[in-house]
Amino acid sequence: MSRDRLRRWWRALRYLVKELGAGFVSLGLIVAGVVVSPLLLFSGGWLIVPLIVRPLRWWATLARIRSARYPGATDAPYPPIPADLTYQDSLRVAFSRRTARDLIWLVGHGLLVPPINLLTIALPLAAVNSLLVPAYWYLAPAGDPISSPYPVTSWAAAAWMPLVAVAYALLAWWLVPGVAYALRWAQVKILTPGRKARLADRVTALTASRAAALDAHGAELRRIERDLHDGAQNRLVSVVMMLGMAERSLETNQDDALPQLRRAHEAATDALAGLRTMVHDIYPPILDELGLDCALSSVAGRSAVLCTLDVEGLHRVPTPVESATYFVVAEALTNVNKYSGASRVNVRVRCEPALPGADSSVERLLITIEDDGHGGATERTGGGIAGIRRRVEAFEGTMQLTSPAGGPTIMKVELPCGW
Amino acid sequence: MRVVIAEDDALLREGLALLLRSEGFDVIAAVDNAEDLLALVDDADAAVVDVRMPPTFTNEGLKAAETARRCRPGFPVLVLSAYVEDRYAGQLLAEGASGLGYLLKERVGKVGEFTDALRRVADGGTVMDPEVISQLLSRRRADDPVQSLTPREREVLALMAEGLDNATIADRLFVSETAVSKHIGNIFAKLGLSTNESGHRRVLAVLAYLHS
Repeated sequence: MSRDRLRRWWRALRYLVKELGAGFVSLGLIVAGVVVSPLLLFSGGWLIVPLIVRPLRWWATLARIRSARYPGATDAPYPPIPADLTYQDSLRVAFSRRTARDLIWLVGHGLLVPPINLLTIALPLAAVNSLLVPAYWYLAPAGDPISSPYPVTSWAAAAWMPLVAVAYALLAWWLVPGVAYALRWAQVKILTPGRKARLADRVTALTASRAAALDAHGAELRRIERDLHDGAQNRLVSVVMMLGMAERSLETNQDDALPQLRRAHEAATDALAGLRTMVHDIYPPILDELGLDCALSSVAGRSAVLCTLDVEGLHRVPTPVESATYFVVAEALTNVNKYSGASRVNVRVRCEPALPGADSSVERLLITIEDDGHGGATERTGGGIAGIRRRVEAFEGTMQLTSPAGGPTIMKVELPCGW
Repeated sequence: MRVVIAEDDALLREGLALLLRSEGFDVIAAVDNAEDLLALVDDADAAVVDVRMPPTFTNEGLKAAETARRCRPGFPVLVLSAYVEDRYAGQLLAEGASGLGYLLKERVGKVGEFTDALRRVADGGTVMDPEVISQLLSRRRADDPVQSLTPREREVLALMAEGLDNATIADRLFVSETAVSKHIGNIFAKLGLSTNESGHRRVLAVLAYLHS
């Protein structure tokens, strides 16, 4: 029990020492900020505001991590500022409530932590010192005696010192963990967005993701319309046209009619095949039966090339995104099986925040398909890879294909999705 | 007659070229985008253009037709589309109806009527798809003078709006040309249109009336 308390006390002391050091750094940053801030008054000076915000956020995040490590603190998620922001976005971040919190914290940390922590850390040292005073008080020059907390000028005075030491020790015993706790509590309080702010964030995120889900549905409808128009509809026009020509030939030159009828027949068969694929691709029945996760396992299982599937953090995404994901993986695996000459292929599907930043609102689905084949895959019009790109771009997603001769071939697809 | 075809679907493009060649047209080129079409306008007597073409697959063909007719006023263009929209028809007609056609793609199946339509367009006539006319007719209000036409008069009005001449209308309806003339007289009187118009101007008058 007491050993446990001692360990806790020792940890609190270390925390105070660490924060003391950090407090001096904060103080330095405040001084630097005060020096730099007149620059902001000049026209165009506000251009550097986002540049100042970045180190501030970094420093505050370090404090957040330190506080989170101290026992009893809850981990306060506070994402870093994304690396590639437009200037508008970075201004928005610069004048956000979070930055204001960081700033308040910095000032408090820099101005209050050094004195408070110094005093608190001095307590156990003072206790040790007081204990030793009877042993060395006479060494001090007579004109400048040891005078903490009272001048020690005689053995009688020195004899009281152990009592003072006990008082210091008791004070240290209570104050060190207390101050550490209070400091940690205050830091967490300031550096963690409040319940209200978190709820507001959540509402923003939900609104954006809802809009994204609706966009996804709209995009899917447009894609289906395009596919129907370019595929079945045009094929059927061809059928009608060829039948018309055959009819014409029957009136004039009967020998021409047969090949024309055959072509019409072929075009009709084509139209049917196109429709069949399309209907299947709109929403593969297997998705409905098994869900995306199991449907992907099933596709991976059917692959002739050994396929490892790695699915992480997958949850409900809008149906069109689900079927696009399924389509991408199925189509890519078909390609791998047909052309790559690979012996194994890895499919990785992950969900992660769209912007790894404070204002991330819409998640994205990352699909990576990597094989150890001979590479050299290229995108041809009307080919499978072009089909994947088209499907992905309908959702404003991206597709990257790297396939140097000799391999490996890596396809990376990113799909924004609501949740 | 030298014809240029603009259609992005390869199979349809080849098919159209084959069809027109076998019907005695001189297909000088079959291209798959609007730019190539515009480069060939000066060499051709008429163009058959698909509405939807790359890059955006919306109404490139329509825009190309407008551009071509601005560069070469009256250049005959027969626009083909997977579906018809009377708004598009209005847009096309806004800059003159002479030598203009707007047909559903599947009309190519009736080879005789299709080639006939192309010839009429090339001769400066106007061809409107029956679908456009029926869209226009179906949107009339109850108190509209069109509602006072007899069923036969409505038929005649529709065929007239498609751009057919009296003889063809008479043929289609199995009546005499004089009967058609009489119907047309009645229609113009009921709608309050001038009977002096003839040819594509008459079509234009009817379409303008229906569009209003």
